[in-house]
Amino acid sequence: MENMPQEFWRWKEYNWHAPDIAWRNAKIITAGVDVGSVSTQAVVMVDGKLFAYANRRTGSSSPDSARRAMDCALEETDLALDKIHYVVGTGYGRVNVPFAHKTMTEIACHARGANFLYGASVRTVLDMGGQDCKAIKIDAQGKVVNFLMNDKCAAGTGRGLEVIADLLQVPIEEMGELSLRVEKEPEPVSSTCVVFAKSEALGLLRKGWKKNDVLAAYSRAMAHRVAALLKRIGIEKEFVITGGIAKNSGIVTRLEKELGIVARKPDFDTQIAGAVGAALIAKKMKDER
Amino acid sequence: MSERRYKKLKTAPQLKKLLEQHYLAAKYFHLGKPIAWVTSGAPVEIVRALDIFPVYPENYGALCGARGASAAMCQVAEARVYSPDLCAYARSSVGMMSDAKHAPLGGLPRPDLLITCGNICGTVLKWYEAAARHYHAPLFILDTPFIHADDGEPTAHAIAYVAAQLEELIAFLEKQTRRKLSKEKLLATAMLSSEAVSLWCDVREFCRARPSPLNAPDLFLNMAPIVTLRGTKECAQFYRALKEEIAERVARQVSALPEEKYRLVWDNIAIWHHLYRFYNHFVDYGACFVTDTYTGGWAMRMNDQGDPIHAFARTYTQVFLNQSLRVRVRDMADLITRFDVDGFVMHSNRSCKPYSVGQYDIRRIVTEQTGKPGLVIEADHSDPRSYDDETIRARIQTFMEGLR
Repeated sequence: MENMPQEFWRWKEYNWHAPDIAWRNAKIITAGVDVGSVSTQAVVMVDGKLFAYANRRTGSSSPDSARRAMDCALEETDLALDKIHYVVGTGYGRVNVPFAHKTMTEIACHARGANFLYGASVRTVLDMGGQDCKAIKIDAQGKVVNFLMNDKCAAGTGRGLEVIADLLQVPIEEMGELSLRVEKEPEPVSSTCVVFAKSEALGLLRKGWKKNDVLAAYSRAMAHRVAALLKRIGIEKEFVITGGIAKNSGIVTRLEKELGIVARKPDFDTQIAGAVGAALIAKKMKDER
Repeated sequence: MSERRYKKLKTAPQLKKLLEQHYLAAKYFHLGKPIAWVTSGAPVEIVRALDIFPVYPENYGALCGARGASAAMCQVAEARVYSPDLCAYARSSVGMMSDAKHAPLGGLPRPDLLITCGNICGTVLKWYEAAARHYHAPLFILDTPFIHADDGEPTAHAIAYVAAQLEELIAFLEKQTRRKLSKEKLLATAMLSSEAVSLWCDVREFCRARPSPLNAPDLFLNMAPIVTLRGTKECAQFYRALKEEIAERVARQVSALPEEKYRLVWDNIAIWHHLYRFYNHFVDYGACFVTDTYTGGWAMRMNDQGDPIHAFARTYTQVFLNQSLRVRVRDMADLITRFDVDGFVMHSNRSCKPYSVGQYDIRRIVTEQTGKPGLVIEADHSDPRSYDDETIRARIQTFMEGLR
């Protein structure tokens, strides 16, 4: 459809699977499905190893979103859903995952997922998701020790980024890099509210600001807000960021600068951490049964 | 609306009748007694001894919340340019003043006089000033100095300062009512008040039992008489019956919850508009709130025998919201130890700033001291627009997952 306006907020949906894992010999196959407010991930693990995963946009129905993500994860494999022994649902739609045996909160799942993906030395996890941000302190087993969340406000979240991507007509996946290409770091936008930040960004554009500068001002405000959350809980090394916004280098760089600490960089998609945690918790639950 | 999922008290109909009669009498049958609007921390014994009928706008605010009427009342106040950042009790009250026709119970009766007291918050000062202006009624402001001492004891000069104001209050009330305060009647009222407080303390202490005979919403509902009817015969009578019932529950090991697996402490005012729905999230995990810092606010036994004015000055200055952070930490840690709980939940209450400021520090220090984890929930005691069930549920679930 040529006349469709470009959807700048839209990020890539995809799937992945390990080419060399033979699931037929496996002792236990588990899955985690993280139905978030913006995106849904399904992760399948074979004997505790990553076997397949998918990342899809959450639709209006949580059960459909869960099913779609799972189908997508299994698409290029010969594994079928009924061969999976145990499934844990997490995220905002966790109670609406039709094929889940149990549910866990995304906080517990991101903690466990970060522990698996980054290693046992992780103590502070920042999950920057679609509609909220969570600062989580964890122990060496990936158990939650303490956590803090933003409250009743979408500022500093993925949904907020999508709004700004649309407003500035910048593809969401390029926002981070572009925001770093500025001559001089501008002052952050003053408002912490997405809607007001949008009007403020509009005002800056009208004043003749370049897109990159507006992006930088917005990213800085977001980093500042999230830094406050982390400072409240107290940051301990190692520090990692999970969730979609971890992919935005503009925000991550500014956050690191403000906190004076470097986040460990992942070699996988940070958005799957919650579903990975859910699949691992599923394994533990199944083992204990 | 959600149903309660734990054992109902036999005294519940008695409680309901008592409060209904109170509001009916306030509105229609106060028999020539002048009506006083008073704050929850006001020395009501003096008011009663002068045959003045006290009503509690704060309790009315809670009632608006529980009846699902507070959002509409708050909106009326907001339309009159009262900030949404103000306490929802105050906004409900202002809303009721402007639009009594749509308010629960047709609104509170018009006050003949008002008494406000700074021991619970600063909002009540401005709120009562606005009400006094609205009704053209005289207002008495009782100033209670904040207690900075680590042991929670007011200084001698603070007590003397408050006692002197109580004398002024008596003179003010005598002038307004053209009556003379009888010392005998004041003592008798103080005795009744003291008896009820003592019984209420006993009821709360019974919850140290395993399983606990009461869950926090029971405490919230059953505290109404100690606030609104303190110093009356009916109030003492009610608490005698309640104590008897709870003693029996404890003797027979009757649990409030179907199965008590976890014991928790509650901090801050109840979430009136989602009372059952909210606490049911904990019932799902078998978690019982066996005690709280809120309803204990009216469980202070009076000491100074013989001189009621001195005793009132001390007691009403010592209200927990008039105390330093250290005392709040001490009291919380004490509840955690004495009631043998697994953790605590703090309601960061958008409406109640003095109660909520410092909670994060209290949580940190109490956890350091006791090793028990604490959860902070963000909501509002009576404005349902500040309540997000999904976010709250996720936090509760995570917290409970950690306790297991």
